[in-house]
Amino acid sequence: MYYFGKNMRKILYIIIESIIFFCGILSIIFVILIFGFLFKESFVFLKNYNIVKFLFGRFWYPTLETALFGILPFICGSVLVSVGACIIAVPIGIMTALFISEVASKNIRNILKSLIELMAAIPSIVIGFIGMATIVPIVKNVFSIPTGLTAFTGSLMLAFMAIPTIVTISEDAIHSVPWQYREGALALGATKWQMMKIVILKIAMPGIMGAIMLGIGRVVGETMAVIMITGNAAHIPTSIFDPVRTLTATIATEMGETVKGGIHYKSLFAIGFVLFIITFIVNFIADIFLKKNKNL
Amino acid sequence: MVNNKIEVKNFNCYYNHDHILKSLNINIIQNEILTIIGPANSGKTTFLKALNRMNDLNITYSYKGEIFLDKNSIFSMNMEKLRQRIGILFAIPLPLPMSIYENIVYAPKCLKIVNKKQDQDILVERSLKNAFLWNEVKDRLNLSAMKISGGQQQRLCIARTLAMNPEVILFDEPCSGLDHISTEKIETLMTELKYKYTILLVTNNVKQASRVGDKTAFFLNGELIEINQTDKFFISPKNKQTENYITGRYIIS
Repeated sequence: MYYFGKNMRKILYIIIESIIFFCGILSIIFVILIFGFLFKESFVFLKNYNIVKFLFGRFWYPTLETALFGILPFICGSVLVSVGACIIAVPIGIMTALFISEVASKNIRNILKSLIELMAAIPSIVIGFIGMATIVPIVKNVFSIPTGLTAFTGSLMLAFMAIPTIVTISEDAIHSVPWQYREGALALGATKWQMMKIVILKIAMPGIMGAIMLGIGRVVGETMAVIMITGNAAHIPTSIFDPVRTLTATIATEMGETVKGGIHYKSLFAIGFVLFIITFIVNFIADIFLKKNKNL
Repeated sequence: MVNNKIEVKNFNCYYNHDHILKSLNINIIQNEILTIIGPANSGKTTFLKALNRMNDLNITYSYKGEIFLDKNSIFSMNMEKLRQRIGILFAIPLPLPMSIYENIVYAPKCLKIVNKKQDQDILVERSLKNAFLWNEVKDRLNLSAMKISGGQQQRLCIARTLAMNPEVILFDEPCSGLDHISTEKIETLMTELKYKYTILLVTNNVKQASRVGDKTAFFLNGELIEINQTDKFFISPKNKQTENYITGRYIIS
């Protein structure tokens, strides 16, 4: 560098600066492009089809002559499966996080942490496959229902996928509570369990909420596993033991059959847009909680 | 009549294989303030934490000897009960991130000491009054405890300890991060509190020891060098090392 002239150095700085700037802005551009593309396609669709009928229509017959594009069954399916998964995953996830950071010895802690991180690395198709081969027949026999491909089965498998996210992030949140808080609680005469209740859950709560939100984000966006194990029936479910179809599954299964540029094709983009908004809201809430945690 | 609240008999303790406290024998008299001075690393804080068994949280800690609270060995007591009877206050005030009111009632509520809202109100008022904080915060009990000043936070922590109705209060350098005025308030508070409680004060400030202590003890390298009535301790120290320390001529050997 020293041997370059003054001008040469200046030019070099400008080049390096612009490369860094370009790399930094690239990901932002991608997000905006994806958003724009989704918006454009679904906007065209919504110009031809009433948005209320789209969001709250009960029937999805895209190939009929007077096609019906009601996605209420899919929204119900997605919500049902996700809520079910959360009810299973959240308590287990938080308990596991508490166990890892507060109760387990250092060795067990390290082993458990790496095992759980490994759990997050299992491809979703494998989880779907295992679910289909093992959980589906069990659910069918235990509850004696005509098919094991139900929302409940989907919830079980999705919970399995959300647990690693919830555990890892809430464990971080619990672990980062300063030691002095624990000491203070114990000094007041709290037992270990009361200490966890008083301090850890109270102070780590924003972080734990963030973890739950990210877990939900993962569940809502999941596709492969739900296609394989929820039964894919496009009707509004009446119980958790009904087959359901989620927003993601609809896009994945129908995209290949549509005419490019047709109204069916565009309706799938509109579903994608709805999904985008849902995950965006979930992530946004998670962000608020995580930021709150940092400001503490 | 002089009543020994805490008796420490030939007490030794260790972290790993480091001998931290060496054959301590101290009697702490009820309703008195015992201040402990000494250079860093002399085992003052370890001694305080040994009294309410906070040291036991560290797995490398071990001890030998006996400590009695009201003639009963603290090592045969229920650890939670013991810590309710012997409260401790740390150097850095650490209120929980909630309102002033909640800070005081949270622990008693969790430990099922108070249940009714009425009792809670009474408890909050009594504790804050005892900590001389009531007049400053009575109109804003719902304010977050993180928003009041450091001195007020420290008194809030004292109020929180008082809410558990302890018998002995251990102060571990309670004024180390505070200004003169807050320090003075806390010192006055301690001299008031001694009529109801027994107080141990660890301090790095020799002057503070001479102001508030009834008795003063000097620790060096885990040994009790000298303990005496505060006025005698400061006017005519018997030990050469004590004299050097309180006159500021202490040289680390």
